[in-house]
Amino acid sequence: MLLKKGVQPPSFRKTGTTIVGLVFQDGVILGADTRATEGPIVADKNCEKIHYMAPNIYCCGAGTAADTEAVTDMVSSQLQLHRYATGRESRVITALTLLKSHLFSYQGYVSAALVLGGIDVTGPHLHTVYPHGSTDTLPFATMGSGSLAAMAMFESKYREGLTRDEGIKLVSEAICSGIFNDLGSGSNVDVCVITKGHAEYLRNHLLPNPRTYISSKGYSFVKGHTGVLSTKITPLKEKVEVVEGDAMEE
Amino acid sequence: MSIFEYNGSALVAMVGKNCFAIASDRRLGVQLQTIATDFQRIFKIHDKLYIGLSGLATDVQTLYQRLAFRHKLYQLREERDMKPETFASLVSALLYEKRFGPYFCQPVLAGLGDDNVPFICTMDCLGAKELAKDFVVSGTASESLYGACESMYKPNMEPEELFETISQALLSSVDRDCLSGWGGHVFVV
Amino acid sequence: MDITRAIACDGIANKTPFYFYRLFGFSCARVLLSSLSSLASSPVSPPRQQSFLADRSTHRVDHRSMGDSQYSFSLTTFSPSGKLVQIEHALTAVGSGQTSLGIKAANGVVIATEKKLPSILVDETSVQKIQLMTTNIGVVYSGMGPDSRVLVRKSRKQAQQYYRLYKEPIPVTQLVRETAAVMQEFTQSGGVRPFGVSLLVAGYDDNGPQLYQVDPSGSYFAWKASAMGKNVSNAKTFLEKRYTDDMELDDAVHTAILTLKEGFEGQISGKNIEIGIIGADRKFRVLTPAEIDDYLAEVE
Repeated sequence: MLLKKGVQPPSFRKTGTTIVGLVFQDGVILGADTRATEGPIVADKNCEKIHYMAPNIYCCGAGTAADTEAVTDMVSSQLQLHRYATGRESRVITALTLLKSHLFSYQGYVSAALVLGGIDVTGPHLHTVYPHGSTDTLPFATMGSGSLAAMAMFESKYREGLTRDEGIKLVSEAICSGIFNDLGSGSNVDVCVITKGHAEYLRNHLLPNPRTYISSKGYSFVKGHTGVLSTKITPLKEKVEVVEGDAMEE
Repeated sequence: MSIFEYNGSALVAMVGKNCFAIASDRRLGVQLQTIATDFQRIFKIHDKLYIGLSGLATDVQTLYQRLAFRHKLYQLREERDMKPETFASLVSALLYEKRFGPYFCQPVLAGLGDDNVPFICTMDCLGAKELAKDFVVSGTASESLYGACESMYKPNMEPEELFETISQALLSSVDRDCLSGWGGHVFVV
Repeated sequence: MDITRAIACDGIANKTPFYFYRLFGFSCARVLLSSLSSLASSPVSPPRQQSFLADRSTHRVDHRSMGDSQYSFSLTTFSPSGKLVQIEHALTAVGSGQTSLGIKAANGVVIATEKKLPSILVDETSVQKIQLMTTNIGVVYSGMGPDSRVLVRKSRKQAQQYYRLYKEPIPVTQLVRETAAVMQEFTQSGGVRPFGVSLLVAGYDDNGPQLYQVDPSGSYFAWKASAMGKNVSNAKTFLEKRYTDDMELDDAVHTAILTLKEGFEGQISGKNIEIGIIGADRKFRVLTPAEIDDYLAEVE
């Protein structure tokens, strides 16, 4: 109703995003771009969209940035407590269930679209989670505004039993496809490779968009260029160290 | 018109060499009418940590009071000041608490951490953190601030130069924004 | 009845049981609790008044029959000498529990305990007495195992809550304070008993290695070395003799083993003691029986 009267809802930072994941011969590889947008503005050129869930599970997030961050942090904390209680490694299905039940209970108002990947006692797993709480289990998956561009790469090049290097290459290609063809995605490529007993987070694996336009000299201003009305200088107090000496005799 | 633009604001923080600067405009308006020209948006948390809050003035003040309260409680409990990173997480948590009825504020944080390493960061009104190495901006003048900072900023500036740069970036940006202006506050630490 | 209605209207209905508990004792509180919910819907309910009075009279009978233990029927009642006897009983439970000890070294902390099982038929691999609260904080108890699990569960949750708020691992002092606060709460609340355990908390954070002992009363102290359970006094005397400030972690493990050995009935082995260590890497770790056997061999 307020909307009709011309009141606009507050704008949140979203991640117009390309996130992907695929299963390869030794485990799972996740990939993400690093652009965060706020409407048409690029708010962050190098943000992190691959979130830690457990030592053997990671999760890519698209949608409202605060929601993806909050929901993954919450579940990762629940998984940690569960690991303490059971003394076992977390399973991907546990993470998936915790995520979907939270998202379902919020009826889609917590707008987090996720690609969840990991490896556990039952083998490698890759899932997508939609904001309403529905999930898919897939050998390769894409999410976010660049999902179509990325899926085009997967559909044409994915096959079973990819090696680690082939997998990383395909994931990077899919993300790059999102970066260059989807306006909501951009900047760099983050990759995370999860294998049995080992997870490797390759932050800024590729930097296809280096900043080239900066002037080497930049602007410089002479001191006193800006008009100053008043100045107050407060020297910072150093913390006093109390040293125990002989005065402390009993 | 968005509720974020009701009072008008411009906020910016920059990193220099072992120092940082945070600056805001001084205008408090109600839409296009100016109410006050000495409004405070930047607050001191402790000697080496400042927070600027852009957006709706009532929420700015309420949120600041909650943050100051939480920080004082932390100081009493743990007998130390908060690290900027820790404080950023606290702000983020308090904002996300109100996920479905947010504070209409976009905070900008600037502080010196251990060994006087500068830290700056901004968030949206739900608490999604954005850490930057160079500068962060927020408020109604954010678009022009992005432009000004993007061209004027240089890494490793000394305090004096940093002051001139951030001041010029702020002044030129608020001149292109109807809703902010009337000079500025600049803090250099 | 007027009192109860006033309170129900004030909207603090959920706090009333404790309040009345202290005024009238157990049975009244229960009745009030159950009557409050119905009061909310119908402000006037005369039949309740009767049951209220009737119950108070039965309570008086109860009181007289208590005899000697009149100061132990509720732990929120002080004895004339100023003691809370239930807490003393809890300490007795700790004192008769299995021996645990902890030593703070220059570069880490070690905690150890004996793991005596009620029967040789129990599978010793299923028993784990030293537990992690966070990656950099471990804990061991003396006294009642089930009680310790409740505390550990609450503390872990508290640690996670802290982490989620500040994105920073909880400092040892803070976690100990929170744990102690829970234990204190159980000495002042109605319908509960104190925890029958003392805890030794070992952690390593920005303030270096730390060792704390938390007692059922909720009091806690930082120690260089401490012991609890059976043989406390012997163990403490032993530790006082052996302890030096510049002790390395390995020396501390040796001393811990020797101290346990002092009061140990039977042959000590990797299977009937447990040792947890934390060093400068800030990773708390429970040693495997094989590792303990290695240390045992070094000691002998």
